[in-house]
Amino acid sequence: MLWNTLQEQTVELGWSFYIPVLLFVGLCAAAVPVWAAIGVAAISMLVMSGDLPLSLVGESLFDGIDAFALTAVPLFILTGDVLVRTGLSRKFLDVAEALTCWARGGFGSATVLVCGMFSAISGSDAAGAAAVGRMTIERLVESGYPRPYACALVAAGACTGILIPPSIAYIIIGLVLGISASTLFLAALIPGIAILTAILVTNIVMNRIYAYEGGGLMSFGEWRGNLGAALARGWYAFIVPAIIFYGIFSGRLTPTEAGATAVVVTIFIGLVLGTLRLSDFPSMLISSAKVSGVILPIIAFSLPLAQALAIMGVPQGFVYSVTSLTDSPVLLILLMIAILIAAGCVMETTPNIVILAPILKPLADNIGMNEIQFSVMMITALGVGFITPPLGLNLFVVSGITGESIMRIAGRAVPFVLFMLIVVLLIAYVPALSTALLPDIYK
Amino acid sequence: MLRTIRLLDENAERWALLVFYVMLVVTMAIEVLRREIFSYSSIWGEEIVRYSFIYLAWLGAAAAVKERAHIRIDVVLHYLGPRAKAAFYIFGDLVMFGVAVIALYWSLETVLVSAKFGSVSHGLRVSMVWFLLAVPLGFGLMILRLIQSFLRDLRSLRDGLPVYEGDRLFD
Repeated sequence: MLWNTLQEQTVELGWSFYIPVLLFVGLCAAAVPVWAAIGVAAISMLVMSGDLPLSLVGESLFDGIDAFALTAVPLFILTGDVLVRTGLSRKFLDVAEALTCWARGGFGSATVLVCGMFSAISGSDAAGAAAVGRMTIERLVESGYPRPYACALVAAGACTGILIPPSIAYIIIGLVLGISASTLFLAALIPGIAILTAILVTNIVMNRIYAYEGGGLMSFGEWRGNLGAALARGWYAFIVPAIIFYGIFSGRLTPTEAGATAVVVTIFIGLVLGTLRLSDFPSMLISSAKVSGVILPIIAFSLPLAQALAIMGVPQGFVYSVTSLTDSPVLLILLMIAILIAAGCVMETTPNIVILAPILKPLADNIGMNEIQFSVMMITALGVGFITPPLGLNLFVVSGITGESIMRIAGRAVPFVLFMLIVVLLIAYVPALSTALLPDIYK
Repeated sequence: MLRTIRLLDENAERWALLVFYVMLVVTMAIEVLRREIFSYSSIWGEEIVRYSFIYLAWLGAAAAVKERAHIRIDVVLHYLGPRAKAAFYIFGDLVMFGVAVIALYWSLETVLVSAKFGSVSHGLRVSMVWFLLAVPLGFGLMILRLIQSFLRDLRSLRDGLPVYEGDRLFD
């Protein structure tokens, strides 16, 4: 009923909508920092529409990010950083390599697995791409992969950073849509692993076609011996993901608490091993703090923008105009995915989540899509944007550490994008993938 | 005196960020330990974590301005000569400056309103002013950093030097 009344509302969008949007696009294209472009859009929309006071901006800069769930963001960023500095990430690589060395293309698979393990600890994407890239790209090249392909492999694998819990992206969409981060983490588990598998399979297929990396041919006993030795040398590295997963999924710890525990345990291991010194702390903390300082203004300024859009009736207007074109759920889902992929190509994930989630969610509600499945679909589709030009953050990061050109890496990333898209479609059309692990109340 | 100012100029954000980051991590870790081992938790732990986080966010934003680390869609910059590049950086700084001034004004407004009505936090019962101040402090510092960066860019433009492009975030 409510729906019908909403549908009858046609929303007339005047200049107070188009001018801020054009300003935003123009400023972004002129390389103005994203948070400032969003700020200009939000402020101009509030001023021009006159429906909301400008003091809303002042308030949301504090209230908007005053959320306990968000405090997990700096903690998961820091965990990733500490993990690299303590050398635990290398232990992951050793174990992953021992695990996959029986097969052809073993080191490529190990690289993808390390990306996955890193994602299961750190909540962000670029840090994983940088850390894994530095450890593996040279060795991938030695194993026979062309350098741009090796970069693309790492960039694609690192996409799982926000897709496998814990993930900053799920914390943010939870904040925007009012869903608990723990629930979203649980829902994201199978889809995240599915994406990792898709990347693994892509690499195996590409390796079969082009025969980059040989290797393999190993007896079972030898393999078991290798794996045992690697585990004996690095088992303690797995304490960290174990704490995070057990803590969050048993309900004992909130994501924030799990993040803090993981940081402290990782630091403790580092101090015991002697790979971490007290003098490392300032630079480590400050570089992580800057990452938070880069992400959070984007969230804080996107929130009043989303509110202004809501007041102007943009979400309803969008649903109305789209559903007047077609009401087939299959097509509407495809349309949503297309919008998300396009947005992921040209914009950062954080503003995409905060601005698009409230606009697209009514459409998902309209076709009866579960809000948790919607969140998982949205994040996964946006995650593909990390390796698509012109603005794939992971491409920039691996290009930054190797000096390889972004477009050449992007070219090699195409097969990964295609396989990941298949998973996105599966998530969108098979609700069970995202809801199977959830308690009945969410289904 | 001059030395103190220079030290502060170089390190103000760094020191503050260290303090708030350590406060955030340690408080949260102690809260977890306390609950799991002593079955006790405080009413103010969460508050300290949240407010340290807000300080961390806005001071971090100022620090990121100082090192030109904010995310921008910099495709266009790759195709430009040094002078045009400098112009684009200065333009970006000017836009940030404008937004920061508006944000400073309206966040100070919230601080003043809170001071007038004497609101206190739920757990610690401390005046909210101390926490709300994080936002105007962050933007004040950011404005200062923007002025510095503006002067630096003008200087390198005048001397024909390549403009400062910041340290890469993940290098």
